[in-house]
Amino acid sequence: MPVRLALLALLRHPARTLLAILGVAVSAALLLDMVMLATGMRENFRDFLLLRGYQLRVAPRGTLPFDSEATLDSARALVRTVRAVPGVRAVSPVLGAQSQALMGGDSVVTGFVLGLEPDVQGDYELVRGADLVVPDAAAIANTDAVGTLVANAAWLARTRRAPGDTVRLAVGYDPQLRTVLGERRFVVAGEARFHYVATAQPALALPLAVLQAMGGAERRDRVSLLMVKAADGADADAIVQAIQRAAPRTSAISLAGATAQVEQRLAYFKQLALVLGSISLAVGVLLVTTLVTISVNERQGEIAVLRAIGIARASVVMQVFLEGLAIAAVGSLLGLGLGLVTGEWLEGILRDFPGMPPTFRFFVFQPRDAGFSLVLLTLAGVVSGLFPAFRAASLPIATTLRREAVA
Amino acid sequence: MTRRIVALLAGAMLAGGTRVQAQDAGATARDQARDTSVPVTTSATRTPLAPGRVRDVAAPAVVAPPPVRFGIDSLRPSPAALRTIALDERMRRDLGVDVGDTVRVSATPGDAAGERVVVSALLARRADPSEIARAEYRARLHLDQLQRLVGYGDRVDRIAVEAGTGDARERVLRAVNDVAFGFRAHRSEEIAVRTGATFQVVNRFHRAIGGITIVASAIFLLCILLLKVDERRRDVAALRLMGVSRRTIVRSVVLEAAMVALVGSLAGVAFGWVVAQLVNWHFRGVHRTPLAFAIVTPTTATFACLLSIVLGIGAGWLAARRLVGRPPLTLLGR
Repeated sequence: MPVRLALLALLRHPARTLLAILGVAVSAALLLDMVMLATGMRENFRDFLLLRGYQLRVAPRGTLPFDSEATLDSARALVRTVRAVPGVRAVSPVLGAQSQALMGGDSVVTGFVLGLEPDVQGDYELVRGADLVVPDAAAIANTDAVGTLVANAAWLARTRRAPGDTVRLAVGYDPQLRTVLGERRFVVAGEARFHYVATAQPALALPLAVLQAMGGAERRDRVSLLMVKAADGADADAIVQAIQRAAPRTSAISLAGATAQVEQRLAYFKQLALVLGSISLAVGVLLVTTLVTISVNERQGEIAVLRAIGIARASVVMQVFLEGLAIAAVGSLLGLGLGLVTGEWLEGILRDFPGMPPTFRFFVFQPRDAGFSLVLLTLAGVVSGLFPAFRAASLPIATTLRREAVA
Repeated sequence: MTRRIVALLAGAMLAGGTRVQAQDAGATARDQARDTSVPVTTSATRTPLAPGRVRDVAAPAVVAPPPVRFGIDSLRPSPAALRTIALDERMRRDLGVDVGDTVRVSATPGDAAGERVVVSALLARRADPSEIARAEYRARLHLDQLQRLVGYGDRVDRIAVEAGTGDARERVLRAVNDVAFGFRAHRSEEIAVRTGATFQVVNRFHRAIGGITIVASAIFLLCILLLKVDERRRDVAALRLMGVSRRTIVRSVVLEAAMVALVGSLAGVAFGWVVAQLVNWHFRGVHRTPLAFAIVTPTTATFACLLSIVLGIGAGWLAARRLVGRPPLTLLGR
C-alpha cells in the first residue's frame, strides 16, 4: 500500500518528477565522476608503475625518477650492489637524455632517448621490427660502428624513418666548436610503444652502454635511475630499506612511496573531486527534500484523511519516505550511466596534459566506485525523505481537515 | 661557454642594428630574475657586454640541476667573505633558518666539500599554480656558484635577453637564430604558451565541470520555480474567477518568477563569495601560497544572475501557461 501510494503521488506530477530525477541524475553523474577521479588515479598509477612488474625505483637521493637532470655515478657497481640485496630479482638501469637526429643541413629532430639493457628493460614494448642489439665492447668504443635503435611512432614520423632505415644521432652540442657531440650512425631496428613517455613526444631507445659512450666523460658509467623487480613474496619495504643502507646516495622508492608522492602532486584533483562530490551530493539531497516537502504540503488534506480513516502513522511516513527514495534511486541509476559518458568526456580533456603517457588515465571506472556512489546516493535519498516524512507524520489531523475543508 | 654564448648573443643583437631594451626570454626566467632580490642570478654575465647597447643580459640559468642540499651549519652571524644565498621563506618556519644565518650547501648529502653561505634573503612564494603541486623548497644561488657546486660546468639552461619591441625584437630574434648553434631564441609569448599548456588543459577541465554544474543547477532552478508557481494555483483560480485576463496572470507570474530568480541568484552570489573566501583560506593554508583558488568575478556573477533570470522567466512562463490553461474550478480542486 505505501509503495503504491508513493508511486501514484509521483506520477500525479510527471513533469515535476521527471525534472527531479534528471536533477538527481546529473548530481549522481558528477558524484561518480569525482569518486572515479579521486580513487582512480591512485589505482591507475599503481598499475601504470607495475606495467612490467618493476615495483621499486632507485633515483638520485631526494629526487623522483627524471624529476631533475641528476644522475647516479658508478652505475655498474650500484647495479651490482642493488642486485645483491636479498629479495631483488632483477635490476634495470635507465639513462635518459636528449638526442638529435641529424636530418641533413641544419635540420635536426630532437627526441628523448633512453639508454637501456634490452633483456631487463621495462620501459617499452615492441610494436614491429626487431629489438635492440647490444654490441660488444669494441663496437661500443668504435664511433664508426652502426648501432641499433628502437623508436616510437612520433619519432619515426618526425624523422620520416621506418624499421630498416639508418639515421645519424647526436646527444648534444658544442657551440664553441660548432659541432654535435657523440655523433653515430644507427639502424632503426623496430618501432616501440614507450609506457612512460607521452604519445606525441618523439622517443627512442639505445643500448645503455652505447648512450653512455656517446655522452663522453659526462655520462660515463652513469644512469638516471634503476628499476627494481622484487622476488615473489619479498617485502618491498624491507628491500627499500636495504637499498637505502647499501647505497645512501640514492632514494629507493616503493610503489606505495611513489603513489604517495604522485598523489601529493595531484592533490589538487583529489581536493577538487572532494569539494565537487560533496556539492553534488548536497544539491541532490536539497532537490529531493524540497520536492517531497512541497509534495507533502500539497497533500496535507489527503494525508489527514488517510490518518483519520485509520491508516497508521508509520504507513504514511513510509509512503513519503519511499517517494524520496524512489526519486533518488531512479536518478542515481540514470546518473551512473551518465557519469560514465561524462567521465569519458572529461578524460578526453585531461588526456591533453603535456607529457602525459598514453597509458595513464584520470577517470578509471571500478565497480567499487559505482557501489560507493550508489551507497552515498541511497543514503542521500534516505536523508532527503526524513524531513518531509516527519512533517507528514506530525500533522494535526483535525486542524488540517478543518483548514482544508475551509480552503 | 656560457660567456661565449652570451657574447654571441650580444654580437648578434648589435649586428641587428637595434637598440636592445627590456625583453626577456620566458615567463619562468623572468620570474626567477625578479624573485631574486639579492645579486644571485644576474651578476655573472651582465658586465662584459657592450655597454649602452645591451642594457642587460641576464642568465637566470641553471633551472633543473641536480638537487642541492642544505645543512644548518650555525645560526651565528657569518664573516662577510662568505657568499650569499636566498632561501624559500617556508624554510624559516620549517627549519628555523633566517636571514643572516650560515648554511652549508652541497650537491650530495653530507658532502664535506659543500660550501658555506650566508642567507641574505628569503623568497616569498608566488601566486603560481605550477608551484602548488611541488612541495620542494626553492633557493637562489649565484650562477657560477651553482655551476661549480653541482658540477654543471660553464653551462646554463636558458638565457634571458632584453630586446626591443616589435620589428626590433624580430630582427634580434632572426639575428640570434642565424648565428645560433645548439640553442635557439624564442619569443616570451611562445614560451609562455608552451609552459602554459598545462593550465590551458586545467582551464578546459574547469569549464567542463562548470558546464555540468550549470546543467544540474539549471534543472534544480527549473524544478523549484515550477513548484513555486504551482503553489499559486488557488490564487490564479481566484483571479481568473474575478475576471483578470490570462495574459495579465501570465505576466504577473513570470514577473514574480523573475524576481524570485534574481533575488535567489543575488543571494547565491553572496553565498558563493563567502564559500570562495573559505576555499581560499583553506587551500592557501594547506599549500602555503598566496594563490587565489576561487574568485567570484563580476563576469561570473553577471553570468550566474542572467542565467538564473532567463531560467526563471522560462520556468515561470511554462508554469503560468499550464495554470491558465486549466479551468479555475479545477485549479481550486472542485
